[in-house]
Amino acid sequence: MVVLGALRQLSALLLAPLAAGCASLLPQSAALERGLPDGLPPRVELSAVPFFPQTEYQCGPAALATALVAAGAKVTPEELVPQVYLPARKGSLQVEMLAAARRHGRVSYPLAPRFEDLLRELAAGTPVIVLQNLGIADGWHYAVAVGYDSQRRELILRSGEKAREVLSFATHELLWRRSDYWAMVALPPERVPATAERERWRAAVLAFERVSPAAAAWAAFLARWPDDVPAAVGLANAHHAAGRLREAEAVLREAERREPQSVAVLNNLAQTLSDLGRNEEALPLIERAAALGGAHAAAVGETRQTILRRLAEKKN
Amino acid sequence: MKSLCRVLIALMIWTPYQVATAGMIGTEQLSASTLQADRAVTLALIARADVARALQALGVDPQNARERIAALSDEEARALAGRVAAAPAGADAGGIVFVILLLLGLWWFWER
Repeated sequence: MVVLGALRQLSALLLAPLAAGCASLLPQSAALERGLPDGLPPRVELSAVPFFPQTEYQCGPAALATALVAAGAKVTPEELVPQVYLPARKGSLQVEMLAAARRHGRVSYPLAPRFEDLLRELAAGTPVIVLQNLGIADGWHYAVAVGYDSQRRELILRSGEKAREVLSFATHELLWRRSDYWAMVALPPERVPATAERERWRAAVLAFERVSPAAAAWAAFLARWPDDVPAAVGLANAHHAAGRLREAEAVLREAERREPQSVAVLNNLAQTLSDLGRNEEALPLIERAAALGGAHAAAVGETRQTILRRLAEKKN
Repeated sequence: MKSLCRVLIALMIWTPYQVATAGMIGTEQLSASTLQADRAVTLALIARADVARALQALGVDPQNARERIAALSDEEARALAGRVAAAPAGADAGGIVFVILLLLGLWWFWER
């Protein structure tokens, strides 16, 4: 073990000039040689991230359990085996790793293929699952990055049976580039990843919503991007589905102030008011929606019929 | 037409349990036009059935396969259809990394 450790140190030393000299081979770690991106602390280690040593072929369940437990879920690698492991492939697919996270109440998000983004997520306190290729047999392997040291140019990972695998940035890039720098995070719904890009995060929340009520996720989305009307509609819908009609109304009123010509906002606000028994207030709003026409005209027509019917019933 | 309808109805087991409640326009409907949205939904349903078959062929029992696919987004299902047998499947590690580093180190020395 000591000999292997020494050999590893030696190889890391040898790889550093390799990385510097062959920028085209390992471009991202070469860029990091020139300096750490702005705003990143020089060292990060998320020591509280748990360690689940993997069993044969099951780095997928082990890595996913690590990230999910760090995000507050209660799950073991054994429970994840039937959710991500493919017996005949003896491994786990990337897309199924993303999907399984949702079943445990976490929103999953594939990062942009950038070393800098990996470091930023770590600096924000989020462990990152990475897909490496170790070059032997099929070679694919999931590990979980939990820290880095920018002065030593090292990445710290939970990997296989090692609670603390330390790789030079260059070595990690060599192993990571085969998967096109694939990485993912899993977060509790009230948090937004540090590196979240708006439209890709929207897709992540929509995917989460297939499996779980997403009020907290849409609320966090709106906190991050307050001008986002579709997210307001999402939050209001989640409130409405849960019977929280006043909360739905409040969110939609704010959205209508921002975008008075949104048919979806007008329709949903009118429907919500009608469900609250306030059909007189709902009617002018649905008439505005109907006048705007567009792709949702059929839905608007139905809402309008509902409001008129309820008004007529009240009269009788 | 009738058999197509039957197929689509059978595929409807994949619709998410979270549909927008009565009268509300849902978030997923906001971006696409109605025609585009309908096409996308149909393609996604077909993709999900394809992935279900592939997962079962690779040893996943049918109930498990259904649950796993239900958690995929439409884009994920479409991306996976036809690729389940070949897409990267993360599996193992062991002391492999040390071997690679050793070989790289030796290669570097050799090249100098």
